[in-house]
Amino acid sequence: MIVGIAGILVGVVYSIQALQLPKATIGNPWAPIYFPAALGILMTAIGIVIVAVELSKGRAADKGKGKDRGDRGYVKLILGTIIICIFYALIFDRIGFIVSTLLFLGGILFLINGLRAWKMNTAITAAFTFGIWYIFEKILMISLP
Amino acid sequence: MEAIQNLIQGFSVAASPLNIIWMISGAFLGTVLGMLPGIGPSTGVALLLPLTFAMKPETALITMCAIYYGAMFGGSRSSILLNVPGDGAAVASCFDGYPMARNGQAETALAISAIASFIGGLISTIIFVFLALPVARFALKFGPPEYFALMVFALAATASISKEALLKGLLSLLLGLMITTVGIDLQSGVHRFTFGVMELQTGIDFVVVIIGIYGIGEVFKNFETIGSAGARAIQSKFKRIWITMEQWKRSIVPILRQTPVGFLIGVLPGAGGTIAAMMAYNNEKQLSKEPERFGKGAIEGLAAPEAANNAASVGALIPMMTLGVPGSGTTAIMLGALMILGLQPGPLLFQQHPEVAWGVIASMFLGNIVCAIINLPLAGLLVRVLSVPPRILYPLIVALAFMGVYTINFSVVDFYLLVIFGIIGYFMKKYKVPTAPLILAVVVGSSMEQSFRQSLMLSDGSLKIFFRSGISVVLLILAAVSIIYPFLSDWIKKKRQRISSGI
Repeated sequence: MIVGIAGILVGVVYSIQALQLPKATIGNPWAPIYFPAALGILMTAIGIVIVAVELSKGRAADKGKGKDRGDRGYVKLILGTIIICIFYALIFDRIGFIVSTLLFLGGILFLINGLRAWKMNTAITAAFTFGIWYIFEKILMISLP
Repeated sequence: MEAIQNLIQGFSVAASPLNIIWMISGAFLGTVLGMLPGIGPSTGVALLLPLTFAMKPETALITMCAIYYGAMFGGSRSSILLNVPGDGAAVASCFDGYPMARNGQAETALAISAIASFIGGLISTIIFVFLALPVARFALKFGPPEYFALMVFALAATASISKEALLKGLLSLLLGLMITTVGIDLQSGVHRFTFGVMELQTGIDFVVVIIGIYGIGEVFKNFETIGSAGARAIQSKFKRIWITMEQWKRSIVPILRQTPVGFLIGVLPGAGGTIAAMMAYNNEKQLSKEPERFGKGAIEGLAAPEAANNAASVGALIPMMTLGVPGSGTTAIMLGALMILGLQPGPLLFQQHPEVAWGVIASMFLGNIVCAIINLPLAGLLVRVLSVPPRILYPLIVALAFMGVYTINFSVVDFYLLVIFGIIGYFMKKYKVPTAPLILAVVVGSSMEQSFRQSLMLSDGSLKIFFRSGISVVLLILAAVSIIYPFLSDWIKKKRQRISSGI
């Protein structure tokens, strides 16, 4: 059901955007638009079909889904990782590879393993960061920020 | 004869020291990555893809092929020892492999899976040698309309493996095609969906999409079980990893029988190692005189799917190399990597760059031998990788994914895209939306749109051009059939049930 609704949403938004694309100045003005517009419309249609199929199956099937198990800790892990990744993208160019990567990998490791495993977390973070830095700078000759 | 001559030439390319070193490293890395639960050949190839950017095309392809079949070899290790398949293609290896290990036959199970994989891979490489040129020659007849039809067929077949997955598969496919429309349109210069971001003008690199969906998405999905997947006790001391004569006699016929089946399934777009292995297992169970032994540690029940999934991985390279149209997620990634290096795989590859085409084919013979060595005498040592806790493994995969993506454009914009595609990949996996159609679409999408528009230019805008040649009509019919078939077979099944219950 969620997949179907997501399909409709993406399809509609994309179709509207596609139809507003600038026209080509050479050749057929609509040429760059046909393909995207067709994709958007098809996606909306398939989204509607998925929702229709789910509705016709009835709500009987939905009942079983209510019993989600208590373990919700992973949501925290995923959200935390996403935040750390975005933070990494923000600071990478500003404060350079080494410091940002130490914070990035260390952040994820501490997030997952907690403070108790600090020795292991620190060792892995340092080994990975300096290892990659060495490979890039000295072997591949790619300069990092 | 021509094929043999070309092959000999290919060996001279494949046997250069640099190519051999990369082949061994690729096979080794592939085996290790394939062993880790949750990381299959596609994730393995995706994560290691940036390694190949600095290589020559033939070396890059040789390395990626080695990672690919290395992962196919390695995938079964964790099936056998832990009952946790490394990837879909290794699921069938759990059925009899794990019972064998429980019965104290871990050495035999590890040995037969490596031997079966080796024979399956070797025979299908021989078939590959003789099939490649005729298929490539046939494909030379293809113009833009035929190519468009072929890509429609490949995408439709990948999206429509089962009825439940069909609609979601199509959705995934369309999303992939949408991603390819971002950037400056090559034919008209129009900016499409760039939202004023300069980095998006050249389009979204499919490597970012691939690493995001497979690498980051996979890690997020595995976070769900990270709490319960603590330290696993794993057998780390082995006797000699080998089989007896009696076990060999039991296994050889199933191996030889299921290799062509696996190869054929691999060639067809959409199906792949997973289906090949399942089919081989079921075939052997039905053919067996003692089907009750299956599932309790029957050696042929492990040998058959192992031969078939390796055969399928070789078969899957045929459409990618000879037609330039991949039939699976992993081969789509390899095709993309070749395009980055400025090579267009397809029929012309065999004419213009025979050293690449035949070098890679020859390397597959050597690579299979390398994999067999890695997986037989060294297996006892390598399985210790399985005891690396996921709590350390997954953060490292995330960090590696970021490093890999950075090497494409040296741009931080790709970091944001990586996170976005990681989230998309996670939700696709959570809601069981297949990811292979998306990857395939991302790789072939822009050439598909180009051949669509070239065809329309040839015909002055008439869609009839797609029905003018026999080849494209057949391909479009096949595409339609592959979408309708799951519904049709479902309907027939229901009808039969009704008839039988009526009586």
